[in-house]
Amino acid sequence: MPRRVNHEASAPAPAAPVAPAALESRLPVSVVTLIAALGVLVASAAYAAGRAGYASSSWADRAYWLGQALVLAPAAGRLLSRRRLTPTDTATLVVVLTVAEYLLKVCYSPAGFTFTDELLHWRSTVNILDTGKLFTVNYGLPISPRYPGLEEATSALISVTGLPVFAAGLIIAGTAHLLFICLLYLTYRCLSRSHRIAGIAILVYSCTPTLNSFDSMFVYETLALAFLGLAVLASWRTATGQSGGERARWFVLAVLAIFATVVTHHVTSYMLAGSLLLVTVASLLTRARRTALMVGALAVISVAAITCWVIYIAPGTLSYFRPTVEGLAQGISALQSGGSSGAASTSAAPRGNQVLEGAAILAITVLVPLGWWQVRKHHRHHPWILAMALGSLGWFVALALRVGTPDGQELAGRTATFVYIPVSLVAGLALIRLVNAALVRRWKSAAIGVAAAGMLVLLFDGLANGWPPYWERLPGSHQVAGFERSVGPEEIATAQWTLSALGPGGRFAADIGIYPLLAGYGDQNPLQDVGYLYTSATYTPAIAQAARAQAVQYVLVDQRLSQSLPASGTYFPGDTTAPNQPIPIADLTKFNRVRGVSRLYDSGDIVVYNLQGAQVAP
Amino acid sequence: MRRNQADVIAAGAVATAGCVALYAHLPAAVIVVLGLGLFVAPGYVWSKVFLSASTRGLERVAVITGLALMVPVLGGLILYAAKIPLHRAAWVGLLAVVTLTGTMVALATQGRTDEPRGRREQAERRRRPTWHAVYFGVAAAIAAVAVGIAVYSANAQRYPGYTQLWLSPLRNNPVSASLGVTNQQGSTTQYRLVLLRKGRVSATWNLTLTDGQTWQHTVSFTDRYAIAADLYRLPDLSHPYRNVDNGE
Repeated sequence: MPRRVNHEASAPAPAAPVAPAALESRLPVSVVTLIAALGVLVASAAYAAGRAGYASSSWADRAYWLGQALVLAPAAGRLLSRRRLTPTDTATLVVVLTVAEYLLKVCYSPAGFTFTDELLHWRSTVNILDTGKLFTVNYGLPISPRYPGLEEATSALISVTGLPVFAAGLIIAGTAHLLFICLLYLTYRCLSRSHRIAGIAILVYSCTPTLNSFDSMFVYETLALAFLGLAVLASWRTATGQSGGERARWFVLAVLAIFATVVTHHVTSYMLAGSLLLVTVASLLTRARRTALMVGALAVISVAAITCWVIYIAPGTLSYFRPTVEGLAQGISALQSGGSSGAASTSAAPRGNQVLEGAAILAITVLVPLGWWQVRKHHRHHPWILAMALGSLGWFVALALRVGTPDGQELAGRTATFVYIPVSLVAGLALIRLVNAALVRRWKSAAIGVAAAGMLVLLFDGLANGWPPYWERLPGSHQVAGFERSVGPEEIATAQWTLSALGPGGRFAADIGIYPLLAGYGDQNPLQDVGYLYTSATYTPAIAQAARAQAVQYVLVDQRLSQSLPASGTYFPGDTTAPNQPIPIADLTKFNRVRGVSRLYDSGDIVVYNLQGAQVAP
Repeated sequence: MRRNQADVIAAGAVATAGCVALYAHLPAAVIVVLGLGLFVAPGYVWSKVFLSASTRGLERVAVITGLALMVPVLGGLILYAAKIPLHRAAWVGLLAVVTLTGTMVALATQGRTDEPRGRREQAERRRRPTWHAVYFGVAAAIAAVAVGIAVYSANAQRYPGYTQLWLSPLRNNPVSASLGVTNQQGSTTQYRLVLLRKGRVSATWNLTLTDGQTWQHTVSFTDRYAIAADLYRLPDLSHPYRNVDNGE
């Protein structure tokens, strides 16, 4: 029967469940940092090789993975090792790991934003700088101006330093990302009362496929996660503070962090409210009255803030999520009726990636129940850890979504950021138990080596199946209908020309590669489901009718669409079927023969037509 | 003056210096440094208000950073609600006011003195030899080189050259159009631009454009008859290199 501990008193000092006679490591943290820096250098050299025309070469790819191994392996080994590790060492390792991976993200796109969502937030930031107003129109991501936290912080930094948007964006995103990881580490440390468990939990969290991409990019979720982390830590301190004054100050801080989260990112604020509610429920179950009262009050405040924000400022949020919710409901309904959900049965990723993914899923799926066992044994009266255990059920929900619903892969990937928060602590509790087990102690370094190797599999899975996709892992020459590698000088110049010549808000048909640039640098309104305009040899009355119904004003034709299949699988935004041959050139040049369709712009690869005067006989 | 008061006053001074720097036409590097100080200062002084002296290390740094990021997010909304345009003056004013207010509140409420560092923390500090610092410094230098390589290789990446040609009616004057050429071929290039009206040559320009240079001309425009522009890249005068038209 576990001893009942008062978890509402803050821990005076972390009590690491470390081996009694822990020895000094032969790998000091400073050496780990040095090796990680060398890893960044090697991976950056691999990126440079990609830009020099070796993006498809196997040695450049191997160099990239070698760089990643140098970053990850020593840190993972050190965190898992049973040798002595001070709280400062652990915190340093967490910071080194996070900074090294962020630097690799910077090295991938060091001259400007290239990812779709980053370009769209670039637009919202420039709009604030230009107009001095919030809530301006963003055609590419209409919901983002209604959650302006990221753009406000970036605009303020630009205004007081004179830095360009790209540099300021990197500073804000990088700072927010590091802050989030540090706050997560501090929260884990507070809950587990062990810097060692917290370090291992952060190591598990580093396996999140989205951590080094979506969660560290110049997107609103990156900043909101930092506020979420602060709100959770402040909530913990509110419940465990030693004096009334201290608790009151942390409470105010928690409320401010909740407000900041709510105005910065929708999903993160919902997850924050959900987390606080979960802790409240767990506190009621464990009869931790003060925690239930304080955290319950914060949960109510967050729900109220979200409701007010959605009603008065961002009513478009509901319609923004409608397609996702409907798709989810259809998938679940299909599963319940025993039919096909429409989920893709196979992944197009290379076999190595699929093996890594399978191994990682299996490992987490095994670790979570082991962690629950540890929670039941040692922490069943701890409301926060109990809440984490309940939250880790989300792992299995995400697994069900992944295999059972259309776009489940995408949805599970996006929810991983939040699902991994409780999963990491629970898995960390399981891992520390395994590492400290008597059987393991007998074989010491061999067992630690196996644990580190297993952790590396998880970390490499996060990278291999995260972002950028395997076919854009190294930067390089232009790819047709890709993502980052579809962003080049010609595409940027074209997008900038559309804004200067046509003004903002033009309704554009365009391929998936240049779509984000048109919305970002061009401030245009690129449309979905426009493939029909490009896939016939003649401009028929039916096509003209459909174009009028969509109010298409301009068609952007990239003639390279006739030269290769789309790197991303589809040529146009909204397409659901993958083509099996490139688009015939005649289909792309047909607009030259349509009376009234003016050819406004020609840069060789890219031509812009004005459809508004098209004259087609019915 | 206690140490924890001196640093609050220093933070207030940094914020004031940041404000002055922005309007004193100082060098860009100085503005960046002082601007960063101004950006962080509100978080620093308000952390003194919110946190007890026993909160230190990573947790204190995290709260300072979080508060610094929160101030423009929540303050920007307040400014917007007050119908104050979010331009430079507003942001500078916001950060300065929040910092100075925080400084006064911190000075007024701060009765807590710095607690002596724990024995464990002091011992830990003592144990660290100098070579650790050298390793961290070398690591930072290597990381800087890695980023430098990335920036250099991105700027040096070779892309196919291109030339932009456009003929677009002016938004505020549809009877005129902008006819323009931009050379992005990577070197100085010679062109011949031929403007055709009803299929006949209306005007010809011989252009020599350096890399990145733009030539632009306003021409009269209509959609009642055919207007086209053919751009030839010399010496090839047999095939238009780029062409645009009004669709007639």
